[in-house]
Amino acid sequence: MRDRPDAGRLLEQARRTLLQEVLDLLPANQRYSALMVANAMAIAARELEQGPTVAAEERAALAGFLGAEEGAEAARLERHLAEAIRAGRHDAAEPLHALLSASTTRRLQIGNPKALGGSKGR
Amino acid sequence: MTVALAEARLAETKAPLQAFLAQAAGAGHAEIREARPLTGGAIQENWLLEVDFSDGPERGRRELVLRTDSPSGVAVSLSRTQEFALLCAARDAGVTVPEPLWLCGDGSLLGRPFYVMRKAGGTAAGHLIVKDDGRSPVSSPADKEALAERLGAELARIHAIVPPRADLGFLERPEPDAAQGAVAKYRTYLDALGVPQPALEWGLRWCELQAPPPGELVLVHQDFRTGNYMVDGRGLTGILDWEFCAWGDPLSDIGWFCAKCWRFGRDEREAGGIAPRAAFYRGYEATSGRTIDPQAVAYWEVMAHIRWAIIALQQGARFLSGGEASLELALTGRIRPVELEREILAQTAPEAWRAG
Repeated sequence: MRDRPDAGRLLEQARRTLLQEVLDLLPANQRYSALMVANAMAIAARELEQGPTVAAEERAALAGFLGAEEGAEAARLERHLAEAIRAGRHDAAEPLHALLSASTTRRLQIGNPKALGGSKGR
Repeated sequence: MTVALAEARLAETKAPLQAFLAQAAGAGHAEIREARPLTGGAIQENWLLEVDFSDGPERGRRELVLRTDSPSGVAVSLSRTQEFALLCAARDAGVTVPEPLWLCGDGSLLGRPFYVMRKAGGTAAGHLIVKDDGRSPVSSPADKEALAERLGAELARIHAIVPPRADLGFLERPEPDAAQGAVAKYRTYLDALGVPQPALEWGLRWCELQAPPPGELVLVHQDFRTGNYMVDGRGLTGILDWEFCAWGDPLSDIGWFCAKCWRFGRDEREAGGIAPRAAFYRGYEATSGRTIDPQAVAYWEVMAHIRWAIIALQQGARFLSGGEASLELALTGRIRPVELEREILAQTAPEAWRAG
C-alpha cells in the first residue's frame, strides 16, 4: 500500500503520544492500564517489522533439524517436534537445546527484548 | 467499564447484603458506607467494604473484604466455599491469614457464593515490597530478612496440615507421586490448549526423568510467593490467595516461592526477591523440623517455571477464545510463556540431565 505513514510508524507515534502526552493526565489507578496499552503497541510494532523474518527463521530451523521437506508447514513441524520430545526421542540433545534456546531469543526480540539482557539483546 | 457494571450490580444488592452482614455479625443493623472493587485476582472479584455495625461484637466501623467468584470461573481453582474452609483451617493451624468471618454459600444473594473476611493491612504489591526505599514497608535488608524467615515459618505451619481432613474433603485425592502427577497433569493441560510447545515439552521431559523420590503429602498452598502476602510497617499481616491449594509435596511450595520468576527483578535475592534463601529456609526448618533438600527444591523451581508458563498460556486462552476482553490476560499469554521458556531451558541444559 502506498498510503503513508504505514502501520508501524502509526503505532510508534501513537505510543509516543500516549506516553508523552496522555499518561501524566491519568489518575494513578489507570496508569497501569496505559502502560499495558503502550506495551501492547510496542509488541505489535516489533511484530510488524520483524515478524515475517522471525517466522521464516523459525520454520527454517525446525525444518533443518527435523530433516523436513521443503514447504512443510511450521505448525505441523512444531507438533511433530513436541511429540518426539515427549516420547523421549531427544533427551539431553544439545542441538535441540540450542534450537529451542535460539527460538526463545528470536521470539523475545519481539515479545520482550528487555528480557534478553544487555549482551544478547539489541 | 466492567467495574462500573460490577458497581451497579452491587448497588442493587446493597439492602440484602446489609441484612446478611447484620445477621452474620449479630448486629441489629449494618450499613455499607463504602464499597470499592479491589484490583488483583484474574479469577475472582474482591470488594473492600466499609461497614457500620449498630451493635454486637463487631459494633462500629469495620473494614471487610468480600470475595466472590468472577463470572468466568477457572476450572482448576477452588470455589469460594472451599476457599473459606481452607482459610479457617489455616487460621486454626496458626497461619497468619486475613481473618475469615462469614460465608454465604447461597448464590441467590449476589448471584454467586461469597465470603467476608477482615481486611489485612498493608500492601501485597510485590514490585513495591522488594524495593529498598520508603515505598516498601520492609525497606531495610534486616526487615526483609526477618520477613523471609517469618514466611518460612508460616509455610511450615501450612504444611503441618496433612490428609485426611474431613473439613477439606473437597481436595482431590493426592497423587502418591507429586512430581510425576504434575508432569502428567501439565501435559494434559498443554494438550487441551492445543498449541504445540516444544520448549515446555523439553522441560516436562526433564522433570519426568529427574524427579526426586516422592516426599510427604501435605497441604500445599501452590501460590505462596511475593505478591500473595500482605505486609505493613510491622511485618506480615496475611497470606492470601488460597484458591489453588491441594495435597502435594511440601518442596513444591518452597520451589515456587524461590523460583526466579517470582523475584520481581531482584534475582540475587533468591527467597522471593526479598532475602537470601538461607533466611527463608531457616524459618521453615525451625518450625517444621524438616531439613530442606536443595537439589529437590531446584527441581521444583524448574517445575514452577513450567507451571507458571502453562497458567499464563491458559490466561491467554481465556482472552483468545473465552471472550474475556482483558489486555492483562492478552499480554500475559503473549509475553510470559516465552520468558519462562528461556529460564526453563537455562535450568535444563543438556549437562543438567543426570544419567538415569
